[in-house]
Amino acid sequence: MTLPASSSTPAPSGLAARGLRLGYGDRVVVDGLSLDLSGAGTTAIIGPNGCGKSTLLRGLGRLLKPRGGQVVLDGADIARMPTKEVARRMAVLPQAPQAPEGLTVADLVARGRHPHQAWYRQWSPGDEAAVDAALARTGMLEHAASPLDELSGGQRQRVWISMALAQDTGLLLLDEPTTYLDLAHQVEVLELVTRLQRDDGRTVVMVLHDLNLAARYARRLVAMRDGAVVAQGAPAEVLTEELLDAVFGLPAKVIEDPVTGAPLVIPLGSYAVPADTAPADTDTDTETDSAVGAGADDDDAGASVDTGADEGAQRGR
Amino acid sequence: MRLLGGSAGSTAPKAAAGPAGARTLRTAHVSFRVRPRSVLVVLAGLVLLALFMALDIGRGDFPIGVGEVFRALLGAPENHFVVMELRLPRALTGALVGAALGLAGALTQAISRNALASPDTLGITAGASVTVVAAMVATGSAAGGAGGALASIGIPLAALAGGLVGGLAVYLLAWRNGLDGYRLILVGIGVTGVAANVKWWLFTLGDVNDAGRAMAWITGSLNARGWEHVRPLALALAVLVPLVLIGAFTLGALRLGDDPARALGLRVDRDRSLLILAAIALASIATAAAGPVEFVGLAAPQIALRLSGTARPPLVGSLVIGAVLTVGADLIARTAFGAVELPVGVVTAVLGAPFLLYLLVRSRRKAAL
Repeated sequence: MTLPASSSTPAPSGLAARGLRLGYGDRVVVDGLSLDLSGAGTTAIIGPNGCGKSTLLRGLGRLLKPRGGQVVLDGADIARMPTKEVARRMAVLPQAPQAPEGLTVADLVARGRHPHQAWYRQWSPGDEAAVDAALARTGMLEHAASPLDELSGGQRQRVWISMALAQDTGLLLLDEPTTYLDLAHQVEVLELVTRLQRDDGRTVVMVLHDLNLAARYARRLVAMRDGAVVAQGAPAEVLTEELLDAVFGLPAKVIEDPVTGAPLVIPLGSYAVPADTAPADTDTDTETDSAVGAGADDDDAGASVDTGADEGAQRGR
Repeated sequence: MRLLGGSAGSTAPKAAAGPAGARTLRTAHVSFRVRPRSVLVVLAGLVLLALFMALDIGRGDFPIGVGEVFRALLGAPENHFVVMELRLPRALTGALVGAALGLAGALTQAISRNALASPDTLGITAGASVTVVAAMVATGSAAGGAGGALASIGIPLAALAGGLVGGLAVYLLAWRNGLDGYRLILVGIGVTGVAANVKWWLFTLGDVNDAGRAMAWITGSLNARGWEHVRPLALALAVLVPLVLIGAFTLGALRLGDDPARALGLRVDRDRSLLILAAIALASIATAAAGPVEFVGLAAPQIALRLSGTARPPLVGSLVIGAVLTVGADLIARTAFGAVELPVGVVTAVLGAPFLLYLLVRSRRKAAL
């Protein structure tokens, strides 16, 4: 059994944004953003609601036409490539996709072969093999004949990921793949994504909401705020208390995850009490206090994090 | 070959990857998937269509048995003139009109992901009605009763132009950063409402006789259809249907929604627009030939979908069922009240309205679940 198109897919794929400008209607969300996502590995894009992280992913994935700048895939501007050619190299899973009712698992996953098909070649042996393999990879083969409506949320997400896998691309973009899932299913989906990256050598770029899961499952984090990249690098370099305060406005304590060694974010919430009412431990108090102070002065904090993150990124390379 | 890293790919049962029950037809470079049940629906539909057409042809002042109709169609000299020249064109027009409406309905429903979308709600029949009534009212008495060339060529052309303009108007008004199925239906209902009022206003302007003739046209009729009606219709369908079947290859991916479809390499706006424009063209041509035969475009895809057990309206199935429905309705129109012949559009409307209610009730229940 051969997969005709897969042998031509170079891994790892190179994806980069150059001066990218994205928006909806007359609102510009991302302006002049440059970002290099080349190399195998998992990158998670994090940031507060409305920071433009999903917009960026939609721009990178050719779901949203850039107002300016370019998205460069393997050295070529994707706006100038045939759309099917892009889809043979890069699979994009949009946020919370809705399948039309009545569709079975196998029907949906088979759609992933569209970029490899033509009207007169709708079901080649390669298509069949790719769909079987994708379903096996996500453990959904036994559900192939089930209607999607009968599956749980986690299973349904695995089916959509199977569809992206059936596209047989070296690059996988996922927009909040864990939305609406409970924690157990979030971990299950992200474990799957990790295997896809580690075992198959795919390049994975995903938008994630949960900072701790992002720190745990991504090799590289990209933090965004107001449509710009504020910091990027290894999770331990990016997820600092200063950055959390500056980017999310979240007073938090960052400790080492006892299981994985990745940074673990503990939001302070109402425990971030002013110094005068705080209990004895003075060292911690001054730190917390200064962090809150920096948060109030957004501009300064943002700038200082920015430079720090650049250095971090340099060290990362 | 990263996908075949797992071993399960080769051990999986063959049928697992295909849609339920599908068979694969394959040569070196060509491959299709067909579902036996869908093929069965098409074949059964064609048999039923042949039977209905034969019965339809047999009806008239000079009744002919079904067996004799088939013999005459196969070249037997007796009844040749009555069957071939007088009655076959009517039955063929009905079948072709129904086929065009069924296919147009399947396209609009598949694209809008809504069972209530049909040529009737896209402003096509409304546009055609307005232009035809306008033409008849404006030229009727002056042109000596709109007889001769004006009636046989001018009216279909006016209907075609009106249908295309109405459909395009809805399409353009519904367009806002792309085409949204729900918006398409709402705009269609609005345009249809406006057109209906313009139509009634035109009626009040015209001469009573012209208004009567116009009234007969806008109910949709297959009366007095000859080969001159069949030929342009058949030619248009011979070009459009293959194009639609080829272009509809994108339909499966298109139905997943804008972003998933774009991710799969579709040019969503272009692909969707081409299919909608094809549906507008098909429905306009059908309306030009027989007037507005309502509800066929709505019901045929839904019936074909239920018979075939597919997730979306099957195109060829809807086409065949549309033809069966139209010829069947014409048969009822000509037999139900003895000597009094009803226009076919009255029958499709009477049968179609309860079906629309059924769809509405069903969709409400589903929403409540």
